[in-house]
Amino acid sequence: MKQEENAAWSIFGYLLSGLLFWGGAGWALDHWLNTRYFLLGGLLLGTGASIYVIWLRFGRQ
Amino acid sequence: MRTLHLLRADGEGFVPPSTNDFNLPPVFGNNEYTTKPILLVFLSVILISVFFILASRKAAIVPSKLQFAGESIYGFVRNDLARDNIGHEFMRFVPYLFTLFTFILTNNIFGIVPLLQFPAMSHVSFPYVLAIFTFITFHYIGIRKQGVVKYFKDIMFMPGVPKAAYILLTPLELATFFIVRPLTLSLRLFANMFAGHLLLLVFILGGDHLLKGVIGLKLISPFAFAFGIGLTFFEFMVQCLQAYIFTLLTALYIAGALADEH
Repeated sequence: MKQEENAAWSIFGYLLSGLLFWGGAGWALDHWLNTRYFLLGGLLLGTGASIYVIWLRFGRQ
Repeated sequence: MRTLHLLRADGEGFVPPSTNDFNLPPVFGNNEYTTKPILLVFLSVILISVFFILASRKAAIVPSKLQFAGESIYGFVRNDLARDNIGHEFMRFVPYLFTLFTFILTNNIFGIVPLLQFPAMSHVSFPYVLAIFTFITFHYIGIRKQGVVKYFKDIMFMPGVPKAAYILLTPLELATFFIVRPLTLSLRLFANMFAGHLLLLVFILGGDHLLKGVIGLKLISPFAFAFGIGLTFFEFMVQCLQAYIFTLLTALYIAGALADEH
């Protein structure tokens, strides 16, 4: 099946939603608490979480 | 700066193409439902129907050229997109995927057909509607196949993960399935068609404007037109690719919803 080959397209979606969701949460915290490091933390956390999901979904067999 | 002055001295300056070039006035009177994109969408439906009815009407063992063309497109969608991605249940989804592919492809290619020259998908509402169809389709199929509880459980809680990780992963999965997927699906198609049309406008309107300038600018003008023609062929590639990707992703999402465990 070509499904594995085409997984690349879904991987892009996961990376994007990780950045958007946790980056967005960090940005909101920064906005309310008047800080400036939660955005960076959120983006890193989101990237890490997406890579973890991608590994779970596509990496392990 | 100097060229700018020369351009200005010639009359009114060059008005670069902008988003205003996408808001076309109604064709018939003041009726807002007769703008060019809407008429093009109707035209595409008529063209697709006529083409495939003619191609399939006198089906013969030794196919005519028309039948061969129609069957190649159908075979491509059925075999390469549906069967290879969805698996044994693929036949149910071929009509939807085939409609999607031909509809998007025809409307995209209208962007470079002389006189028509407008891709309807560069208006974001058209890709939105198509993405909503795909969104409803794959969630409905998943819920029908696995039941509401199991379907949502599969999305939210992946097996074999420490419980604490769900705090991190569950919102991410939900965002992917319910926001990012339909959004990227529609915006990818929209942005490609929008940017492509704008690019062609820049080079061809720019070349036209240079031609009206002084002799030095006239000499540059052919290069702008040459680029415009080159980019038209490039656009053709992008238009086919985007129709393919939209259909491919729909097939992949359906396949994901049908799969028992991820």
